Amino acid sequence: MIRALALVFALAPSASAQTFGVHASKVYGPDGVVEDATLLVEDGKVRAIARGRDVPAGTAILEHDGALSAGLVAAHSYAGVLQESLDDTRSVLADARIADAFDASSSDLRRALRAGITTIVIAPRPETLVPGVTAVAKTAGGTLLRRDGQLTIALDGRAQRINRAPTSPMGMVAELEARFAKPEGVFATVASGRMPVMIAATQRSEIERALAFARKHHLSGSLLFAPLAGELVPDVQSSGLAIVFAALPIGAESRTIDSVVAIAKAGVPFAFALDVPFDAPDALRISAALARRGGVDPASAMRALTSDAARIAGVGERVGALAKGMDADFVLWSGDPLDLGSRVVAVYVDGVERLGGAR
Amino acid sequence: MHPQATHWATHRALCWTVLAAAFGGPVSASTDGGKTSASPAGSVTLIKAAKVILRPGKIEEHTSVLVQDGKIIAIGANLTAPEGAREIEGEVVCAGFIDAWSSFGVDADALRDERVSAASLTTDAWDPYVDERFRLDVLRGGVTSMRVGLAPNAKVGGVGAVVRLHPRISDRRAIVLADACIALGVGITRSSRGLDPFDRLADVDRALGAVGDGWSYLQDKVEYKHELEAWQKTVADKEKELEDGAKKAKKDREKEKGDAEKAGKEFKEKAYKEDKRPKPPRFDDDKEVLARAANGELPVVVEVHRAVELRSFLDGAARYDRTRWILAGASESLPFAKQLADHGITVLVSPTPMGQMRTEEMRDADPSLAGRLSEAGVKVLIGSGMERPLGSRDLALVAQIAIGNGLPREKAFEALTLGAARAFDVADRIGSVEVGKDADLLVLDGEPLLAATRVRYVLSAGDLVITPEN
Repeated sequence: MIRALALVFALAPSASAQTFGVHASKVYGPDGVVEDATLLVEDGKVRAIARGRDVPAGTAILEHDGALSAGLVAAHSYAGVLQESLDDTRSVLADARIADAFDASSSDLRRALRAGITTIVIAPRPETLVPGVTAVAKTAGGTLLRRDGQLTIALDGRAQRINRAPTSPMGMVAELEARFAKPEGVFATVASGRMPVMIAATQRSEIERALAFARKHHLSGSLLFAPLAGELVPDVQSSGLAIVFAALPIGAESRTIDSVVAIAKAGVPFAFALDVPFDAPDALRISAALARRGGVDPASAMRALTSDAARIAGVGERVGALAKGMDADFVLWSGDPLDLGSRVVAVYVDGVERLGGAR
Repeated sequence: MHPQATHWATHRALCWTVLAAAFGGPVSASTDGGKTSASPAGSVTLIKAAKVILRPGKIEEHTSVLVQDGKIIAIGANLTAPEGAREIEGEVVCAGFIDAWSSFGVDADALRDERVSAASLTTDAWDPYVDERFRLDVLRGGVTSMRVGLAPNAKVGGVGAVVRLHPRISDRRAIVLADACIALGVGITRSSRGLDPFDRLADVDRALGAVGDGWSYLQDKVEYKHELEAWQKTVADKEKELEDGAKKAKKDREKEKGDAEKAGKEFKEKAYKEDKRPKPPRFDDDKEVLARAANGELPVVVEVHRAVELRSFLDGAARYDRTRWILAGASESLPFAKQLADHGITVLVSPTPMGQMRTEEMRDADPSLAGRLSEAGVKVLIGSGMERPLGSRDLALVAQIAIGNGLPREKAFEALTLGAARAFDVADRIGSVEVGKDADLLVLDGEPLLAATRVRYVLSAGDLVITPEN
């Protein structure tokens, strides 16, 4: 470990300042998989994906016998904030920023990095009606990409209380309607479309309520958890919301997997939550593997782990794909990233190797 | 299943039967599209494959497998399909996977029950009628049989069974082996209440004590057997002696009787010490099972995770050199790898990744455990665990997790097939592709245990239960 760290520090200044290429048998580019290609990195950004080793003369090329993909993106988590992620004494904490509670040195981030996750959404726990605003961080070093991510809204049974309002689903909707009637502050930002929402809903009735509410107020963003969203495809499509499913465990309900497949087939963008520390970081890739085996095409499953997750999190311009000008956050895999038999060989963030030689 | 769906399926099946009959075709050869086909007894299937994995490490290329009456009856390159046989083709044929640790189909109440005892049979709580959709999902995952158990949280979990999945077999043929193992639990968090270290070590004593009870019971039985034999011999000797001296004995007896009468005393028959038959040990159903476990007839699956319990357990277990131990879970077993390898103790892992909020004993579980143990020479099995019944459907993914974390693919394949079959004493029936074995087979479009590989056909007890169409 110490040796690995020393290596990182030794490489850090030089590597990020120069241009280099990584040649891999398979490169997962923004337009699909390219066999036998080189990712060209310049100053920590992606410059191009070249066929073969077709890069400017003199460029150092790292050889990798395996696959190369964009770093994975977890679309929801409590990484580094678990103890600080819930204040349920009040139902609405519109001005709360989870970024203010974030511990950038948390081991949750290192564990996620080891699983090939380079970007992670940090969220307040959706157990009060409006628990606050999410943030987006890089797992290497915990740098914040965004402080103002999505406004979290919980139209979820868990957000009800018996000792303060709202105490019922109707109460929750009434309270929200009041906030959106003449929106102020963060609600105004949301209502004007400048900030997406992330609405937690678990039961089918909650999902329907969340979709109806989003449609009525023209909200953009995503549904969180929504295991049965796939049974309501037309409603989801007309709402324009994406879905952030809870991570699928080994032995997940067949009905939930069917729902993910239906959402994927309908072309609705979706991603997976990685509720670390509750979930192990590998749960993200396992979710995609289960979805793929259930019938989601590999390309959509891969997007759910990368570009779609980044777009839902509002950082799709910077991370989640290996397109020109985007951050050079990528993972070297021993094989197909959706094959759980493949392992992480190395992880680069901003063009710097942050994890390598991992078993 | 939806009642309407059943009607529809029946209707279709009927149509096909009628059609087949009309065209003079044999019914057994008809496939009925969407539904699993009913192949009556006597059905024959010929599977042609580019590659047949006979057993781990033994491969036959461009060969065929002939299946009849639920059994593999021939394997060879030049087999031809008999009249009326169904023919299917595929890239790779291998044995159906066996989930070494599953709760699929076990009654939910039985899983929660902590009062089961050693003699409780899992087969009594196994529901062969579990939702067909789920059965097909598991089969589609390539899993044809599983080792199921009761009450994962019980200290003594009863007798586990190896069961077979088949959408229609819900009779005895679904049970490959009713007494495949006995399960014990050590230091397992029960009903969300953690155990203090003393409770946990008491668990070790209890588990070893249970096997010890079985051992004593067995010794008592053996002792009784010897005593009985000795007694029978003495009785026989005495009888012979008496017979030889019968005349004299009769005379003596009459004389004694006469003397007693004369003296006005009551006559007492002579007592022989040989009259006292040795007493058998009191019958105890639990100990009957535990005795078989102690004696190595049944493997003993012990779920134990923490290093502390593992250490004292392994120390105590060394006394029972005939017992076949299988450690399940074994999250912190890596420091004991050498000891486990030396003593031939198998470890059954469930390499599903776990978050930090799991019960305390599993917190150090690591998906690389299978790979590291195997590297150290420990025999490793893989199971989906008992937490979610549908885990069996994802057994191949669980194995892939182990592979991605260092277990060689061939070892994982072995763990899912012959390794599991041998550990639970069903290797004479399932776990490899051999003539005479049950036809639980997978036909794949690529190498097993790769994400890109699809299961095309599944045969369970010789019946084609999964086809690309369903």
